[in-house]
Formats: sequence, structure tokens, C-alpha cells
Amino acid sequence: MQDLLMQFISNTGFALADYRHLIMIGIGMLFIYLGIAKHYEPLLLVPIGFGILLGNIPVFKGLGLGIYESNSVLHYLYFGVTSGIYPPLIFMGIGAMTDFSTMLARPMLMLLGAAAQMGIFLTFLGALALGFAPNEAASIGIIGGADGPTAIFLTAKLAPKLIGPIAVAAYSYMALVPVIQPPIMKLLTTRKERLIKMEEPRTVSKREKIIFPIIGFLLCCFLAPAALPLLGMLFFGNLLKECVVTERLAVTARNSVIDTVTILLGATVGASTQADVFLTPQSVGIFILGALSFGVATASGLIFAKIMNLFLRDKINPLIGAAGVSAVPDSARVVQVVGQAEDPTNFLLMHAMAPNISGVIGSAIGAGVLWSFMMN
Amino acid sequence: MGLEAIAEHNGWSIALLGICIVFTGLAVLSFSISRLHKLLNLWDNRHGAIRRIRKGFVSSRNQGPRIMVERSAESLEETVRQYHMLVGTLTDPFALPDLLNLAKKRGLYHPYSTVNDLIKRGYIQPDQKGFFYWKQQTLTKK
Repeated sequence: MQDLLMQFISNTGFALADYRHLIMIGIGMLFIYLGIAKHYEPLLLVPIGFGILLGNIPVFKGLGLGIYESNSVLHYLYFGVTSGIYPPLIFMGIGAMTDFSTMLARPMLMLLGAAAQMGIFLTFLGALALGFAPNEAASIGIIGGADGPTAIFLTAKLAPKLIGPIAVAAYSYMALVPVIQPPIMKLLTTRKERLIKMEEPRTVSKREKIIFPIIGFLLCCFLAPAALPLLGMLFFGNLLKECVVTERLAVTARNSVIDTVTILLGATVGASTQADVFLTPQSVGIFILGALSFGVATASGLIFAKIMNLFLRDKINPLIGAAGVSAVPDSARVVQVVGQAEDPTNFLLMHAMAPNISGVIGSAIGAGVLWSFMMN
Repeated sequence: MGLEAIAEHNGWSIALLGICIVFTGLAVLSFSISRLHKLLNLWDNRHGAIRRIRKGFVSSRNQGPRIMVERSAESLEETVRQYHMLVGTLTDPFALPDLLNLAKKRGLYHPYSTVNDLIKRGYIQPDQKGFFYWKQQTLTKK
């Protein structure tokens, strides 16, 4: 009887836990707190936070419980991450809920989204300089795209063992966009520039909104075929929305499908951040580079907007360059807030949505480009 | 580590090419979108455009034969004869703009300078009331 009791106790989490599990459980609880109490990206941080708790309960290996054990339920659910299934489905939902009309009304603002993607490639260089292998550096660089599904998709293809820290870094910094961006925006712009009011965009016809996803898909995927899974699903979802005749499918894509996949992706990515994988010097490097990538991306968008103003007769407010960081719609909201802090009558949100959305397309193209380079 | 690691893995080329490709992709997409609504407007107004083109063809057919004479091969006599024919279709006296319009429709080259030349030579003379008439005597003498 005593032996049985001792055997039971030795298999409990209390006996198997060490300080690293406790640290990760603390991190998981922090994410849940940030999501619920502070409303920082709750749809992402709550599943990820709970997933961290799931993955860091100390269990006896071999019982098929952990996410990395091939016969566990979590492992089967995690298959959607490692095989790159979940991110394209999320992109389909994003396409089905996104209105591209602000971008169609003023296509020139798409270049700000392109400029912000410099954060990806400069972070890639930084990761190489720190000693990461090229495929790992590419996965770390994509954090600069500020796009969680894209980061997970590329990392699953190039450096699967870094999915945990990269996903946590990407989503954490996306949630912290309201904290990271404003100081950079104020540093790189003058008050006079922040007060610039932009003219109302033109009205975009229904036909343009229907034709755009087809043209956009063909152009982008002919240029970067490796971006096909992400951009194909993004534009497909958008076409479902805009053509109206498939409204039922669009509603499903932007509600049931995206919510289901977000739950599974968040929970399993969180569960993959086990202490022995996550608490390494590499992860510290990834987090530092991730923070830098967001800063560089923000700065690139702002500076490019100022350069564009040298040639434009109708000036653009350079703050909207920061919205090229494709954390939709948070970075556009940050632009609105910073702009209104200077002039409460200045409504920049709709203008900022154009580079914000083009940043999503740009980060997917960037991911496709990096994937094709690393494949060769 | 450091810059050597970047160079060893071709990092500079990858980064530069990657940035260029992303920029090119979005620039091309941006340009295409900027032309899209204009192409759609053109498509919407295609019937009107076709009608205008057809009108242009029909009216040029109804204007009579175009006299296409090489400027180098024209002699003054030929020019005088042509413009006398045109004047014959107008009222007497005639308004100079009417003669010029008719000459343009018939495809005569440089109607303004030719009419100016004919006025200087005395073939076309003003009647002091704002109109002009053809001076027959000059032609007969020739």
C-alpha cells in the first residue's frame, strides 16, 4: 500500500516539477492576465496563455500526454501548426472580414506597407549576425512582419523547433504595439507633420472590390509563388465576402472557421513552449530581435512616408507609415490615437488601414520570398 | 557571428533582393489598382466611344472626295483652279472662314497659308464689308 502511494506521488506534477516549469506557468498566467484584465489581444493571449499552462504541467514521458509525444491528443492538434494548415485558414478568415476599399481608394499608400516589411529583412540580418542559421534567421526575421499566422507558417516550414518562442514573441509584440509604436512615432515626426490632414478617399465601386482579389492574387502569386498558401486563402476569403453571392461562406470563414482555428492554434502553440525548449539563450535572442524588428518596421514605414512627402503635392500624414506594421487593426488604431492627441479633429484611422492591410500582403510576400530563398 | 556571418550566408544579397521583390510586388499591385477604376469607366462608356468613332467615320465619308495633292507637285495654276472650285460652292461674296473650313474638309494642305497667298496675289479680294469674292479676271488671264 505504501509502495503504491509512493509510486502515485512520484508520478504527480508536484514530484516532477522544477523551477523552469514554474517560470513558464508564471508566464502563462501573465499572458492570461494581460488578455483578460488589460484587454491586450485577448483572442490570442488567452488561448496562448492557457496553452502555456497545458504544455508545462510536468508529466511522465511515455504516457502520450505531452505535445511532443506522437500519440497524444495535443500532438494531433499541433499537426495543424507544424504542417502549416492553420495559418492559411486564419488568412481566409482575415480576408473574409477585411474591407480593402481604403487601400483601393488610394493605392499609393500600399508602398508604406512595403516599406515596413524592411523590418523583416533587417531582423534577418541581425539574426544571422547573432549566429543563428539562415533558416532560423528567416523565421526570426518574419516576426518583423507583425503577422502571427505568417510567422507560424514560415517557422513551421523552416525551423519547426523554434515555433514556440517565435510565436510567443510575435503575438506578444503584436499585443504590445500600443506600447512599442508611439514613442518611435513621436521621435521620428514633427508636430507639424503629425497635424497634416488628409483628404477624403474616393468611393470605391463594388466591381473594383470584386476584381481586386483576383488581380491581387494573380499578380502576387506569379511574383512569389511560395506565398500561394497564405495569399491565396487571403484573397479567396475576400472574394467570398465581396461577391455577395457567397455571403454564407464568408460568414462561416470569418466566424466559425477563424475562431476554431484560432483556439486550436493558440492553445497548441502555447503548449509547445515547454520549459526545456523555451527557456534557452536562443529564446532570449529571439525576444530581443523581435522587439527590434517591430521598432525597425515602424521606423521604416514612418521614414518612407516622409520621403514620399518630398514628391507629393497632397502631403500624407507620416504617422500612417507606422500602420505598415501589419498588426491589423491595432497599429492603425495607434496611428489614430497619436494623431488625435495632436488634433482631436484629425481622423486618420481609415487612411491608416490602407498601409495596414497592404502590410499583411507584404509580409506574406516576404515570407514567400524567404521560403523560396531558403529552399534553394 | 557578426558581419562575417552575414556575408558567409549571403545575407546582404538575400535581404536586398527580398526588399526589392516585396517593393516591386506591392508597387505593381498598387499601379494596377490605380488604373482599375479608369479601365472600368472606359468599359462602361464603350458604347458612347464606339458611337463617337462611327460618327467621325460617317461624317468624313459625306464630305465629298478629298483632294490629296502633294504640296511639292502643286503649281500655282493648280492651286488657283482648286480654290476656284471651292469658292464656286460657296455664296458670293463668301466668308473667309467658310472657305478655310471647306479647304480643310477636302484635305487641301496648308489652307491658311494658301488662302493668304491667293489674297496677296489678288485672286481673293475683300469687298470691304467683311466678305470676300473671287477675282475672275486674274484667272482668265492665266
